[in-house]
Amino acid sequence: MAEIRPDEISAILRKQLTGFESEVDIYDVGTVLQVGDGIARIYGLSKVMVSELVEFPNDVLGMVLNLDEDSVGCVLFGESSLVKEGDSVKRTKRVASIPVGEELLGRVVNPLGIPIDGKGAITTNKFLPIERKALGVIQRQPVKEPLQTGITAVDAMIPIGRGQRELIIGDRQTGKTAVAIDAIINQKYTHTEEAKKLGINPVYCVYVAIGQKSSTVAQVVAKLNEQGAMDYTTVVTASAWEPAPLQYIAPYSGATLGEYYRDNGKHSLVIYDDLSKQAAAYRELSLLLRRPPGREAYPGDVFYLHSRLLERASKLSDKMGGGSLTALPIIETQQGDVSAYIPTNVISITDGQIYLESNLFNAGVRPAINVGISVSRVGGNAQIKAMKKVAGTLKLDLAQYRELEAFAKFGSDLDQSTLKTLAKGARLVELLKQGQYNPVPIERQIISIYLGTKGYMESIPLIDIKRFEKEAIEYFEVKHNNIFESLKKEKQISDELEARIKKAAEEFINVFKRST
Amino acid sequence: MKINFKISHRYAVSLLESVIEKKKTEKVILDIQLIVNTLQSSNELQVALQSPVIKTEIKEKIIVELFKSKIDNDSLEFIKFVIEKRREDFLLSIALRFLELYDEHIGVANVEIKTAFEFTKDQKESLQKRIEQILKKKARLNYKLDTDLIGGFVAQVGDTRYDASLSHQLELLKKQFLKGNISLN
Repeated sequence: MAEIRPDEISAILRKQLTGFESEVDIYDVGTVLQVGDGIARIYGLSKVMVSELVEFPNDVLGMVLNLDEDSVGCVLFGESSLVKEGDSVKRTKRVASIPVGEELLGRVVNPLGIPIDGKGAITTNKFLPIERKALGVIQRQPVKEPLQTGITAVDAMIPIGRGQRELIIGDRQTGKTAVAIDAIINQKYTHTEEAKKLGINPVYCVYVAIGQKSSTVAQVVAKLNEQGAMDYTTVVTASAWEPAPLQYIAPYSGATLGEYYRDNGKHSLVIYDDLSKQAAAYRELSLLLRRPPGREAYPGDVFYLHSRLLERASKLSDKMGGGSLTALPIIETQQGDVSAYIPTNVISITDGQIYLESNLFNAGVRPAINVGISVSRVGGNAQIKAMKKVAGTLKLDLAQYRELEAFAKFGSDLDQSTLKTLAKGARLVELLKQGQYNPVPIERQIISIYLGTKGYMESIPLIDIKRFEKEAIEYFEVKHNNIFESLKKEKQISDELEARIKKAAEEFINVFKRST
Repeated sequence: MKINFKISHRYAVSLLESVIEKKKTEKVILDIQLIVNTLQSSNELQVALQSPVIKTEIKEKIIVELFKSKIDNDSLEFIKFVIEKRREDFLLSIALRFLELYDEHIGVANVEIKTAFEFTKDQKESLQKRIEQILKKKARLNYKLDTDLIGGFVAQVGDTRYDASLSHQLELLKKQFLKGNISLN
């Protein structure tokens, strides 16, 4: 058995003690006047800055939000029962900040960057403030690279570009988080050698969970681990049981983590799940700080709360390194009411929205995306040409289908062309259904949609569509893998390539018909 | 004691300006100090001044009775004025603010010193010298005993604290140990 001699222990202790300076420590202090509900009013601290961290006894941290004439209003990031009236408060002279860097990949942290996954301390000395100013016009450029989510319906009709802000909105239980998680999982491809050869830059992900159940967050983390997605992902969490101030700053912490990659010429994807809970947390602490309430009792600056956060998403100019930060905020609506205060605000800030509906979800259309009212205002420029070509008519076909579907419900005499449109629409809807955690690579999406829009599925019964799609992709993979390769490389469908796809599709149709 | 920074500051500033003009500062300072001491030592008087039940005239009479022969006429007039304006419940905070402003005016810093044990005269002198050196102005040191400090002392000027106590050092040491970074190799 190994032994440790006492003098070894004392040597280590001495080593730790050297460098400990016992000089006079100079710091600024104030006194707690009033404390309760996660808010403290402090007398003194006359030189304190807004959003500076202050230290209370018992290792409770706070952040200064109000600077009044004779007192300072401050929110607590810990138990308010540990702080008493008359306690002294210390300035830390640093604004609320979070450690950043690659060391945080694969970790679960709280909004102050303290790890909560039990994997030990985070060893980075790079700190960035949580609240940072968004970049100006000069430093930006239009969105031009695609960010593939791996969800066919999104990548085909609501394309997202790197640096875009795309809102995911819908009622509870409509699969909002699922869309976001799929988008994270699909970024795994961008970290492969193959993607590097094709000139696709890796995307680092940040998932910010605000006001969720800790068990839900644990599930998400477990799923990401299982899919190997934690290697390039950081999870920031402020669960429902944590104080409102932590929930309020969580998205800003996430944005800061993403900005680190953006500013170093890399690409990042940040998911805010969800901002309605953050707004509720901010309302709570605003009311406690006695700021006057406005519509739905939210404070007057609730628009600024979200606009300053989402403005930080950006595509940098080539001069600045060309990095990007894509934001996918999530908003939960009540009974599909998008005209409530927070949903309208965030819709107007973002560059489009993916609208999820519970009717569709219950009808088995999953992901339950209502393509009629979902839009992407800038992503179209970033979509690859091949996808643009095949998906061009998709949205229109589906819109026509939806319109006629309502009439068709009444049954009776429908002319031939109407029936044809209905049949095609139903097949397309079937085609766009997709399992959870099953992102599809872009080249496969293109082939599926090609088969759907060019009428190859007309003769296939509705129930066989999914099988048809699956077998078609398998057939292409085995017999015509070069088509996938060319699509990946060329990113567009030349006449020659189209002829090859056509030939392969016809071959497959014959094989499929024979098998059934 | 009711505290309202705005109100007490406003009254204190005007009193200070008028006494400087009249060159009566030394006298008035002593008066105000007397008022502070009286108010702080008698809870009953404070309660009486704050009570809305007692009429203003009666409050005025009480004050005049108390201080008439002991303080300068100007100071008495000021107190009467404060009562007349129905700000008698802020009297103590006005007086305290006035003393602060006066110290600022003559350039004296009020330094609260907490020590673990009684300082000797020599120690006090050298501390006074050192503090005046750091602050670059005259300092008035108010000593207090606090055995929780274990050893050393803490000096506080305004919001800034100069901490040379043993308890704080131990706290820092504890934090350094908790931070970890201990590697056995």
